[in-house]
Amino acid sequence: MARVRVGPLERAERRLGYALLAPALLLLATVVLYPIATLLWTSTQQLHLAQPWLEGFVGWENYARAMDDPRFWSSLGTTLIYVAVTVPGAILCGLGLALLANLPFRVKWPVRLGLLLPWALPLVFAGLIFRWFFEYEQGLVNAGLGLLGIEKQRWLSTPDLAFVATCAAIVWKSSSFVALVLLAGLQAIPASLYEAAAVDGASAWQRFRHVTLPMLRPAIVVALIFRTITAIQTFDIPYAMTGGGPGHSTETLAMYVHRTTIDVLDFGYGSALAALMFLLSLALTSLYIRQTRRDEGGG
Amino acid sequence: MPSFRKARALAALVIVANGVIPALWILLTSMKTETELMRVPITILPDTPTIANYVRVFVDQPMLTFLWNSLAVATLSTVLCVFVSALAAYAIVRLRVPMGTLILSGIVLVSMFPLISLMVPLFQIMRTVELLNTWPALILPYAVLSMPVCTLVLASFFQDIPQDLERAAEIDGCTRLGAMWHVVVPLAGPGIFTAAILAFVNAWDEFLLALTLSPRVPARTVPVGITLYQGEFAFPWPIISAALIVAIVPICLLIVVFQERVVGGLTAGGVKG
Repeated sequence: MARVRVGPLERAERRLGYALLAPALLLLATVVLYPIATLLWTSTQQLHLAQPWLEGFVGWENYARAMDDPRFWSSLGTTLIYVAVTVPGAILCGLGLALLANLPFRVKWPVRLGLLLPWALPLVFAGLIFRWFFEYEQGLVNAGLGLLGIEKQRWLSTPDLAFVATCAAIVWKSSSFVALVLLAGLQAIPASLYEAAAVDGASAWQRFRHVTLPMLRPAIVVALIFRTITAIQTFDIPYAMTGGGPGHSTETLAMYVHRTTIDVLDFGYGSALAALMFLLSLALTSLYIRQTRRDEGGG
Repeated sequence: MPSFRKARALAALVIVANGVIPALWILLTSMKTETELMRVPITILPDTPTIANYVRVFVDQPMLTFLWNSLAVATLSTVLCVFVSALAAYAIVRLRVPMGTLILSGIVLVSMFPLISLMVPLFQIMRTVELLNTWPALILPYAVLSMPVCTLVLASFFQDIPQDLERAAEIDGCTRLGAMWHVVVPLAGPGIFTAAILAFVNAWDEFLLALTLSPRVPARTVPVGITLYQGEFAFPWPIISAALIVAIVPICLLIVVFQERVVGGLTAGGVKG
């Protein structure tokens, strides 16, 4: 292999480059890599902050305990159902919003603000607002059902309905980000493609199916990846709306980890649960990245 | 084409209603008295609009402290994040550091780690170094949280600045860093600004770390403050609504003033990621 000759000027430039990268890498090392290493180490320990005399190395025991813990499996299941429902839900709603927002408006700012406000709110605020919507006596949703002659529902204290209510809040909150990403994708599609399709006599649906969707594919994949990563971590909205209840019916894995560590102070077991969650998200994202790579390779 | 115009107006209405109605409903709730809220059927507009709930937001709980903490943590973490990201983005785009794109992907990959997996060890670490319930406990993680999107936004802005300008500055006797400071930074101003807004909103909105690393009142931020706003008996909805409006107004102002920047930044960071 021929070595590329590096002149003194270029070497100085490289040295400067490393120096400029150093702060970012240092920050990443202290706030991400060192904590992840700590997490993996703690997951092999017995470490209960309320029982410090019981500390010690236990190997895989915490992981084995998770395998036998029904609450781990139920919270994992709940998390995966949240992913399965809210990811497609947000993509579909976001696509709808983006298609509407892509019309040639004369005044652009109201539409832009309508898309930006849900994105800019903290997740817990969305949770609190929807909790108020779904209140039994004073909620807007039950009032609306009353107008239609339907009986009031106990949204937040019935397991299935609580799940529906939290999903509605998550989809509302996250679809606006999806819409912004897809809108940028829509605006990048050249108008000439639509003109050519119209000349060929394509109907509106055919233009959507054969021009818009294929051209939008990269943006959809990006939105899908971002949405899936955040859906796995679902915490704020169920925390604010139901606290994981009724029972444990809306408790996600993230909420169970939080309860195990911060409330119960069992850091050994909680770390094992958090490490499992880390692996789950790593597996899902690498799956996606592989998929997009293959798409790019195939053209 | 009047029918097209009507369809367009309807589309705008749907988007605006979807985005604004929840906040509007909270605004109406915040102006009702507790007795009016107890009434069934519910009222839409407040009978006798009141600002009593807003007074109680500040009297019942140290809301000003929460706002101050949020402002300080968000501002300081934004400054740190943008500074560090700008240096990294410049090094990757302009100085042709070996494996630059790999490093960039690494930085982006970090944003995919679930926050809850970081929360557990960060709690232990902050506890050991006695930083729990202080600003730095949040500032450091928040700076890292927004680093991927800031680096991507800034990298794309740096890429668009013609390299000739820097060369010219260097010929005029500027050092490499001098050229960066005098030529690139002013030209990338809009990019730096965009990155800063995104980092600020991320930090202002964050809940999980704030709840675990800094829950005590002296360093509590707004999202945690409002969520833990429990009344003696039930959830005090009129006061919660007023508190939500107090917290939503600054975000609204920010996105009203900088809407184009925010949209541009989000899509640059998103689509290129």
